[in-house]
Amino acid sequence: MSKLTTIIVDDEKLGRDIVRNYLKNHEKLELIGECGNGFEGIEKINELKPDLVFLDIQMPKLSGFEMLELIDDPPLIIFTTAFDQYAIKAFEVNATDYLLKPFSKDRFNGAVEKAIKSLNSGKENAKLNNLLTDTKYSKEYLERIAVKQSNKINIVPTDEIEYFEAQDDYVMIYSEKGKFLKKKTMKFFEENLNPDDFLRIHRSYIVKFDQLENVDISANESNTVNLKNGQTLPVSKSGYAKLKERLN
Amino acid sequence: MHKSDSVVKGNVLIYLLVWTALFFIHFTIVYFELGLSIESALADSFVFNIMYVLIGASFWYPVKYMSIDIYSTPRLIMNHLAAAAITTGLWLVACYFILTSVFEFQQEYYDFLLSSLIWRYAIGILFYVVIVSLIYVYVTYSDYKEKELNESNLKVLVKEAELKSLKYQINPHFIFNSLNSISSLTMSNPERAQEMTIKLSEFMRATVSKNEMQKAPLREEIKNARLYLDIEKVRFEDKFEYIENVIEACENIKVPSMILQPVFENAIKHGVYESIEQVNIILTCSKEAEYLKITVENNFDPDAVPRKGEGIGLQNIKNRLKLIYNQENLITYSKDGTIFKVNIFIPLEKENVL
Repeated sequence: MSKLTTIIVDDEKLGRDIVRNYLKNHEKLELIGECGNGFEGIEKINELKPDLVFLDIQMPKLSGFEMLELIDDPPLIIFTTAFDQYAIKAFEVNATDYLLKPFSKDRFNGAVEKAIKSLNSGKENAKLNNLLTDTKYSKEYLERIAVKQSNKINIVPTDEIEYFEAQDDYVMIYSEKGKFLKKKTMKFFEENLNPDDFLRIHRSYIVKFDQLENVDISANESNTVNLKNGQTLPVSKSGYAKLKERLN
Repeated sequence: MHKSDSVVKGNVLIYLLVWTALFFIHFTIVYFELGLSIESALADSFVFNIMYVLIGASFWYPVKYMSIDIYSTPRLIMNHLAAAAITTGLWLVACYFILTSVFEFQQEYYDFLLSSLIWRYAIGILFYVVIVSLIYVYVTYSDYKEKELNESNLKVLVKEAELKSLKYQINPHFIFNSLNSISSLTMSNPERAQEMTIKLSEFMRATVSKNEMQKAPLREEIKNARLYLDIEKVRFEDKFEYIENVIEACENIKVPSMILQPVFENAIKHGVYESIEQVNIILTCSKEAEYLKITVENNFDPDAVPRKGEGIGLQNIKNRLKLIYNQENLITYSKDGTIFKVNIFIPLEKENVL
């Protein structure tokens, strides 16, 4: 049996050193790359198609989770982090294992065995196929969204977003700096955006409150709302009721 | 209620003095005005007054068991009127018995005694009312005093608790990340691993012992900051540079302990951590009028979206400084382009003013 391939994504050299050290002369795994940030991580994963990735979560600009969202066919993931509060989220994105730094060689080997087992049994559910589900996976609201635009990665702060528009399996994000397509559902955004700032006014639209041009709350019904940028968005009956309730 | 012995003694003395005065007034009236013989006048004023001294001393009890806070006013008045009627009656009976059985006076005196009973009864009731009212006033006043004292004690406790809650606490992630670095270095560079273990221990020991103190010289604070940044440097390598610009005269000035630590942690978390470029962290300390001005500045990546949690450490410093120095705005921060700057102002004690 040929060795499984793996890469390390960690912004700290000492963090990568440990994993590399543990992988030295490993019987079943072969280290084929190392990345110091999430951007390199995306490139390397797409280029080298490793079977397994050791992934740090807290990295500058692009977190491990955000990096995964931008990979179309993600490999098996073993998270390595000093933060235990991401364990639930990691579990929900179907990570193979979650190693808390510092971790022992035994613990590391246990995680590797788990990965090998699930690869051999070819279980589809071991893969990170849940990444694109609607799960609300954290109590924290989104503050930024990582998007890919013709191979360039952009981080869009939610502060700069004007509204969201549903487009089949995707959502178009309209921000001050342009529009970005993201493979997520409207339900995901509805649940993960701060409800103090955003409201779903229509099956296909979520709008940011401070982008609304004066809404006539005395009117009983309305089919549209105006945005400060001059645009007009459709609003559903229930969306309008929610909007009125909120503005009251 | 615990009253000190001296307070009780003082009160008893006043009580006895008043009764002595009443005794003389009583004597003056019955001897000079009403023309009793000197013996009967003396016996009359002595017996009636001394008996009331004893009965009156027991009036503490009805007051104690009938607090104004618990009983309604009509009920209070009814109860006290009943108590007044009974105690005054008992007083008169006792005095009458003593004066008739112990002494032997002329019939004239006993006639006077019988005819004056109704007046004495009225005066007895009046005494009761006056004594009980005075006791109520006294109890209310000392309750009020005690409450005031408790309140000021409570305020001190609240302030202490607040200061305690605002004290710096080591961030557990800093410990875990440092331990991970050590774990890694034990394989690649055992000497540096040992060096870092020692630095981490020193930092933790200093933090724990400093948290016991309210204030420490600036020199100590800077020493601790260096230790902290040295440890982070192992983790971040060349990602940041620390520059110190401290006037020597400032080093002995006392500042709230661990006041700088959250500022440096902030610089690491939002400056160094979120940036891919190198970050400079600059510490400047100088005297400015009546203040020691401490400035920490760092450049940051303007593209990095600020993470939540920014400002909590700084907010804590603000609250701490306000509690300690009773002044607002002792910390200011500004973002200017790619530079984040925090200014802390420590009011100088007199000997440190320029």
